[in-house]
Amino acid sequence: MEQTSAAQCPMHEVRRIPNDGTPLCPSPTFAIWREEGAATPLEYSDGHQGLIINRYELAKMILEDKRFSQTPARMPAHHGEELTAQYGLSSGSDLDLGNVLGLDGEQHARIRRTILNRYSVRSARGYEADMKAIVAQQLKHLLAQPTPVDLTKHYAQPISAAGHVRVLGIPEQFRQEYSQLFVGESTTDEKVEFIRRVIAVKKDCLAEDVLSDLLRSDLLVPEIEGLSLSLFVSGRDSVAYMIATCMTALLNNPDQLKALRDDPTLIMGGMEEFMRVGAMFLTLFPRTATEDLELGGVRISAGQSVSVSPVAANHDPAQFPDPDKFDLSRDAFGHVGFGHGIHGCVGQQVARVEIREGVMQLIQGIPTLYLVHAEQNEPGPFAHPVATYEAGEVIVGWN
Amino acid sequence: MKITVDRDACIGAGQCALVAGAVFDQDDEGLVVLLNVSPGEDMHAFVHKAAKLCPASAIAVED
Ligand code: HEM
Ligand code: SF4
Repeated sequence: MEQTSAAQCPMHEVRRIPNDGTPLCPSPTFAIWREEGAATPLEYSDGHQGLIINRYELAKMILEDKRFSQTPARMPAHHGEELTAQYGLSSGSDLDLGNVLGLDGEQHARIRRTILNRYSVRSARGYEADMKAIVAQQLKHLLAQPTPVDLTKHYAQPISAAGHVRVLGIPEQFRQEYSQLFVGESTTDEKVEFIRRVIAVKKDCLAEDVLSDLLRSDLLVPEIEGLSLSLFVSGRDSVAYMIATCMTALLNNPDQLKALRDDPTLIMGGMEEFMRVGAMFLTLFPRTATEDLELGGVRISAGQSVSVSPVAANHDPAQFPDPDKFDLSRDAFGHVGFGHGIHGCVGQQVARVEIREGVMQLIQGIPTLYLVHAEQNEPGPFAHPVATYEAGEVIVGWN
Repeated sequence: MKITVDRDACIGAGQCALVAGAVFDQDDEGLVVLLNVSPGEDMHAFVHKAAKLCPASAIAVED
């Protein structure tokens, strides 16, 4: 086995996440790095060096390995752009106790356990009728718009926000403010203040939803607030991103669109292919090695930061033959578009239902849908705190 | 085929219920429950797939 297949760059060039790719067409640099080694040195936004993991096999090994910690939080932000604290991460406050993605071991398990029930496959099935209705209503709204129209703004984002609010159980009177604060811009303080107001009201009207479960649980107040902050932030733009990106993929590839219209059952496996080729995360949240170790031929030293790249791993030809080909009928299960391991996405089963409904009702409801322009077909700036792609405008029309 | 699941290891990602819903489900805690300890031939491929996808290695299969 090769030793230290973390490729060392000959000229000590500084390697940052390449920004010349798009959600559906990753930067060719990832393939070059992947061929050089399973891991490549990466410079983080605070100037320290770590590793980016480009190969599928090593990606999964790291995500399953308990010798990596979620702390300290170090974000590989895109070069030249400021990190903002607006995500409420690494705020150094009590609320960190509930920030699932920043926790290890027992505390992580304790927090995560309180929300699993509402996001299980079984629960997701239970939301199907509600999600169908949310999507149907939004489709009506879309059809009432003059064309050309932006799918992201008039369809994907409202569906994402409404689905999220439904599962979380954010009371009716707060919904508009939720969208303003969490889909739009706001500070962590404003978000936390909002969460406290929501919780104060919710306490007196517990129901069958995530917030009610949290309030019934034995979690401490800062844990509840911190977890709520993570949850309020989490699904807010990712589902919207995926609906926009799935639609861009289909409209870019008319043969795949036709195949899906002809055989709607393709969506079940096809969903995994969407998640594979359209992965939103260029890197996951960095992990830090807690001891010296060697994995898959790569030596990683204690204290070193490691960032798994779902975009790179999902295009590893060793796992997915002809990886750049978008093919809804391929077996794409096992992709890491939702991450993997104990921090794997909690909301993934619910997200699948929302995305599936969003895509299927749209392609079946508007048979003549065509693409005018998708911003995401050109490279654009990443979103933060870890580098993720943005949905961008997806301008469509119909006859 | 004999299947065992480790509920202490399960992290509730639901990969198993996603690919082999006739054999695995998630209970009220979101943790894996086995619906069928030794499912028929037609399910074997799906069960193996679930075991392979499980991020917590919580599913053991004996043929
Ligand atoms: C298509 C939509 C979504 C995508 C692409 C996505 C992606 C991801 C990824 C890649 C991770 C792992 C991050 C890491 O390991 O560094 C993650 C974790 C997480 N996601 Fe999602 N997500 C989506 C929707 C949702 C939704 C709807 C929720 C609902 C609240 C959600 C809640 C979470 C939470 C709480 C975690 C942290 C889990 C933990 O640390 O144990 N996500 N997500
Ligand atoms: S795939 Fe594994 S971790 Fe996920 S629910 Fe099934 S048994 Fe649990």
